[in-house]
Amino acid sequence: MSLPTRTAGAGRRARAALFRALAAALLVLPLAACDLLAQEPLGPAAAAGPSAAPSAGATASGTAGATPAAPTRTATPDAALPYDVRPLLKPAKKYLGVAVDGAPASMAGVDEFAGRIGKRPNIVEYYSGWGDEYDVKGVTNAWQGGALPFIAWEPYKTPLADIAAGKHDDYVKRYAAAVRNTNVPVAISFAHEFNGTWYDWGTKTTTAADFVAAYQHLHDVFTQLGVGQVIWVWSPNSINPVPTVALKPYYPGDTYVDWVGIVAYYTHLEAGTFDTLYTPTLNQIRTFTDKPWIIAETGSEPGTRKVSDIYNLAANVIKRPDCLGFIWFNLNKEVDWRIEGDPQSQNAFKQAVSDGRYSFDVKSP
Amino acid sequence: MTSIPTPRNPLAEDAPVRVPDTGGSWFESRHSSPQQEERPGGGVRFTDHPGDDDPDEDEPGVGGPEGGGPAEEAPADGGLPDGRLPDPDGPDGSDRDRPEGPGYTLPPVPEASWTLDSGRRRSWISRALLLGILLIQTAMSVRLSNTAFQDEALYMYAGHAQLSHWLYDTPLPKDYNTYFSGAPTLYPIAAAVLENHFGMLGVRLFSLFCMLGSTALLYGFTRRLFNERVALGAAAMFAVTQSTVVLGFFATYDAPAVLLLALAIWIVVRTDRAPAFAVLLAAPFAVLAVGLKYASALYLPSLVLLAVLTGRRDKNRQPLLRGVLLAVGAGGLLWLGMTFTDVLKGVQATTTQRAHGTEPWTELARQCVEFGGLMFVTAVGGAVSYALRGRMNESPLVRTMTGPGRRRRILLGLLLTGTALLAPAYQVHLNTSVALYKHLGFGLLFAAPMAGIGLARLVGPHFRHPQLGILLWVVTLALGLSQSTWRFDTWPDSTRMTEVVRQHVTSTGRYLASADNVPVYYTSDLTLQSQWTSTYGIGYVDGAGALHTGDDGYRTAIADGWFDLVVLDGVATPDTDRVVAEAIARSPHYRLLGRIPFTHVGGTGYYRIWVKQ
Repeated sequence: MSLPTRTAGAGRRARAALFRALAAALLVLPLAACDLLAQEPLGPAAAAGPSAAPSAGATASGTAGATPAAPTRTATPDAALPYDVRPLLKPAKKYLGVAVDGAPASMAGVDEFAGRIGKRPNIVEYYSGWGDEYDVKGVTNAWQGGALPFIAWEPYKTPLADIAAGKHDDYVKRYAAAVRNTNVPVAISFAHEFNGTWYDWGTKTTTAADFVAAYQHLHDVFTQLGVGQVIWVWSPNSINPVPTVALKPYYPGDTYVDWVGIVAYYTHLEAGTFDTLYTPTLNQIRTFTDKPWIIAETGSEPGTRKVSDIYNLAANVIKRPDCLGFIWFNLNKEVDWRIEGDPQSQNAFKQAVSDGRYSFDVKSP
Repeated sequence: MTSIPTPRNPLAEDAPVRVPDTGGSWFESRHSSPQQEERPGGGVRFTDHPGDDDPDEDEPGVGGPEGGGPAEEAPADGGLPDGRLPDPDGPDGSDRDRPEGPGYTLPPVPEASWTLDSGRRRSWISRALLLGILLIQTAMSVRLSNTAFQDEALYMYAGHAQLSHWLYDTPLPKDYNTYFSGAPTLYPIAAAVLENHFGMLGVRLFSLFCMLGSTALLYGFTRRLFNERVALGAAAMFAVTQSTVVLGFFATYDAPAVLLLALAIWIVVRTDRAPAFAVLLAAPFAVLAVGLKYASALYLPSLVLLAVLTGRRDKNRQPLLRGVLLAVGAGGLLWLGMTFTDVLKGVQATTTQRAHGTEPWTELARQCVEFGGLMFVTAVGGAVSYALRGRMNESPLVRTMTGPGRRRRILLGLLLTGTALLAPAYQVHLNTSVALYKHLGFGLLFAAPMAGIGLARLVGPHFRHPQLGILLWVVTLALGLSQSTWRFDTWPDSTRMTEVVRQHVTSTGRYLASADNVPVYYTSDLTLQSQWTSTYGIGYVDGAGALHTGDDGYRTAIADGWFDLVVLDGVATPDTDRVVAEAIARSPHYRLLGRIPFTHVGGTGYYRIWVKQ
């Protein structure tokens, strides 16, 4: 008689267990279903703060939730992302640039200059002749040394019409590809002081149309090759020595220009103030563009005015919000523009640029 | 049916030295000449089939190569009982004192050697071969590699959006019902859940699972329709075609739709001898396939006709009734689906009233031939061969059975091969090749059994011409390999583009991109789909309230600096990309960020990325 009893008891227990299991399932399944879906709210609100943004590779995981794993295939060693130069276009602080002998192939001169003025320059300008290859080592030196490379690209003995016609495209493309592959931001000023008469590409030999066409062609070739690392500098000389040459015909257009780079030196030939050197030129330029401007080359002749010229320059650059800064031509070329030969000038320079608004880290402007 | 002796070692089928029959095969003495032996004729006839044909219309060459002498005769190849050849120098071969009589006696041959009934050994060998085919299919699919195609990206993102909408009441970025070619609440949801757990690889592996299942089901229903050899041929051909390989690693609803269609076919064929109403089991799966991908509806009539043609006729099993039941069942479910869901617009926009393209029929025909031509020709060959000769087995026993008559064989061949033409015909009608490479696979699923017959007939009885079958399959394999690789290279690898874009997008920006679904998907943690505009179309309202569409819309929006970032690949919409690039070149609002190279079937291409300045 006990067997049926045990069987009935076992059956009841089994039914009870089944009931409990069903009840638990009814309770748990909806919750489990939500968990199984593993879905988070879609969109930026679901992102885990700033850490979700910068690196695609960092989000690659098997449990992506609402965030798909960013593709990680074909990560090649040269897969550096194109450098975004936009933060360098209108920085909050001023550029303090310099051109010194031997730089940027060697940064020793820049280091020495920095030691003299007590501040590290953040632009290093150098001159590249037409036909010279892109100085990968030099621009890399400059960038690693905390300075934006600034190239004055000088088309000596080359008609700009030929450049515009594409006759030098092989060279230009090679140069452009090197710029792109180096992936270091660089400012390029093509055929500077085009409104003067003293260079091969000056007004004696070249029309405004040829200059514009050559400039635009260069820009287009660079764009075609996907070079986005260049800050394009349109660099006229001060109009003071060539007042009859209108600048507007030489202007390639806002889509081709990032900076206006005015070249003007403090010499005994002019009154020697910021307003007389730059303002007339700038006033004319402001009739056709609002692009920010930089003093692409400047210096002061040796003499009694040099100290005041330096103070005048530095103070007025600070005053002008649309002025990005200046590049000091610290070379002994035709005239000794350097500061190191004159302790007073050196001290004046050091004091003039000691303003905290001069120079900044170009890698995080 | 026990212990039917065999006259010789079956492995010696093509042995060059044979003793002509002296009259009287052990099973059919009329067909004993060597010439007749090569013929595998005879038809498998099932007595419960509708008697639409005279059995004698079938191939008369019954007997085939198996036609040797009676069991008592000496073996033609002089083999030993255990199958070994006698050693001419050995004691057996030199024993001239032995009395006259058979040198040996063949042991009883297992019935499975001849029987139509698949024994366990044959079944397991077939399954092992099928497993090998599935492994090859797997290898071919998983070797494919690229970042998400725009359709894959769209479906997965839509699934996340739908789930998020259900669970958290977030707004849907778009009304997916209006432009999806499948129900947005079916596959995209499954894809999103899979992706949440296993990433995109998991979703693609789900497709692989579906396509492997399709091949296995194809094997199943082809075996049911014909036999193992044909089934293996069909599976082998289907497994390596471009569409199967691609869909097997493609996170779209095509693969599950093919699987459901295959399942529906399998049920239709499997219920051939069941009461007619059993065919209704196929209806939910067929309709679900249509729900997953609306274009699957193109194959429902074929499914219904297949139900008719495969049905056995007796008082309980009416072929026509099967067809009617399936049509009504599937139609009813479809009606319910259309009535109680909101997919009609999508069905019309993507399927029934899809916008016509401009591609010439010659180009579409070229693609059809390129991607499915070989298998289709094989299927046509199989259909013709099947119509001419219905016998599917080399066993001499088949003569004792009857199979489908010629009319039914012709109809079956026409149905299965003709179904493969439905998608190409419809796309020719639409003048568009969009997704043709995928849709071909749906039709080839139907044609595959006939291709299996074609392959089997090409090889011939007893593997007489294996080299031909191998050649055909290897060519199909090679085409499948190259075409699937090519297919996965038709869109750019978006890895580096995504890395760049992720650095420049925010939750408030406005972005324009070729194939925008890809960056939408890969930046779904940073942006919403509504922030992105594609190069497929635009409706831009300017500051004055005027609406600009098409090229004018892009030009105006860019002139106004509307977008914060523009990404063009030059692949998805090259004409629009050109318009946009020209507009950017004239706009002072943008500067080129860079160019990201990629390689695809067109050579080297570039993502060009502009940012607002």
